[in-house]
Amino acid sequence: MALFEEQLNEIMQQADAWRADGLARELSFEGREPWPEGPSLVLEEDTALELGNPAVASLSVLLWSEEDGVEDGRITLVGPDVAETTETSIPFAQVVVVSGRFENEYESYRDIRDAVYDTRLEGFSTRTMPSKQSLWCRVSSDAAGRGFSLADLGASLIEALKELDEVEAAEVMFITSSAEHVKSLTPAARGAQRVVDALMMMYQEDNYDCETCEYQDVCDTVMDLKKIRQRLDEMKRGSGAR
Amino acid sequence: MIIAVCGKGGVGKTTISAVAAQALHDRGNGKVLVVDADPAGGLSTALGLTPKKTLNDVRKEIIEEIKVGGRDEKDLSISLDYLLAEALTEHDNLGFLAIGRPEDVGCYCRVNVILRDAIEGLAERFDSTIIDAEAGIEQINRKVMSPVDYILLVADTSAKALNVAETIRDVAHQMIGGEGAGLVINRAREQAEVEPIKNETRLEVLGWVPEDDTVRRFDGRGESFLQLPECPARGAITGALKKAGLEI
Repeated sequence: MALFEEQLNEIMQQADAWRADGLARELSFEGREPWPEGPSLVLEEDTALELGNPAVASLSVLLWSEEDGVEDGRITLVGPDVAETTETSIPFAQVVVVSGRFENEYESYRDIRDAVYDTRLEGFSTRTMPSKQSLWCRVSSDAAGRGFSLADLGASLIEALKELDEVEAAEVMFITSSAEHVKSLTPAARGAQRVVDALMMMYQEDNYDCETCEYQDVCDTVMDLKKIRQRLDEMKRGSGAR
Repeated sequence: MIIAVCGKGGVGKTTISAVAAQALHDRGNGKVLVVDADPAGGLSTALGLTPKKTLNDVRKEIIEEIKVGGRDEKDLSISLDYLLAEALTEHDNLGFLAIGRPEDVGCYCRVNVILRDAIEGLAERFDSTIIDAEAGIEQINRKVMSPVDYILLVADTSAKALNVAETIRDVAHQMIGGEGAGLVINRAREQAEVEPIKNETRLEVLGWVPEDDTVRRFDGRGESFLQLPECPARGAITGALKKAGLEI
């Protein structure tokens, strides 16, 4: 099984079900100017809309695949956009999926993560807790007044990802409809995080015992992890021989 | 602009910090970050703001992140930004962080450096920052205060308090470099009491703050200094900030 095959299938199937039910729609970036970049600190006083506050549901998922199936440039929204809600705080999930050729999975993870987390837009503050997969955002009153849309965020993320050499296609899905919808992706998100954690351990730890490793169950399921492990072992043996 | 309020214990640093924060906040000086770096934690009461989470809580969570493993510096830095946002108590355009009281022992130098850098990064996004420092020279010595632009020294009229203020200034100069510093003499009864200090000290005296019944009443009742009305102490502290060129 490829690295995120199970999680990708789960999330894509859920997205298709939402599309079939008329809950998901594509946001168009046509005719919009790229939203200006810039670091932002949006205090509560200046906030028009909060997305993914720690007190409500919040999720951030990054997945990549060498298979086809990613619809390049697609921005999907399940729920209201910034201008379409009268709430001041709503649940939020951001799912980023890319496809391409990833020779060094560890470097690719870091490249993709940095491209996503370093995207800073004027009047839009984002804070992320990678281990909890939480994403907490605020849209300032000024940005909301100027028409900020999740299409702007999606387009900026896709543009940043497409600048990476290894990325061929990128798409983003946002969920703002309900805490239940956000939480329905949690099992897949947690599964993806365990794959990433296992990957990190392989690249960062020199000596570990597969028999006692806490990620043994992940490697037993995800064949690509085993292949990576074998490849890394061969590289280590090769460098040791020299 | 990052301002650290320093001095001997018991000279009124917390009150000066709270009134200075109110002065900057009330005068529309943009976003103001207030950091209570004193583990005794009196600034929270003085501002009437209760932190949901302290910087010490943040430190503990980051230590847990490090223990779990698999997190690089970037992950930790991103996480810290998130945790600091959780720890930030907001009131209008003012943000408040409290250091809290460490309950554990051990060396956390790496974590403290990460934490200091993160606070510095957060402070950059505010227009001004006021840090109510721990009494004495420890935080200066440990370079916790290295990003500070100006040291607002506080002393009462005692020789001991003045000595401590001068020592802090000297240590800061050696440890951090050439940032500005000025002295506020707190709880003086009259100008005549201040004049000898002005003549004796090597420090620039920014002004003196009189004993003030309004401040005493707010202190006694635990009322928020963010609501402090015009009064002699408030006027004196605002005047000192102006003399130091600290108001934006």
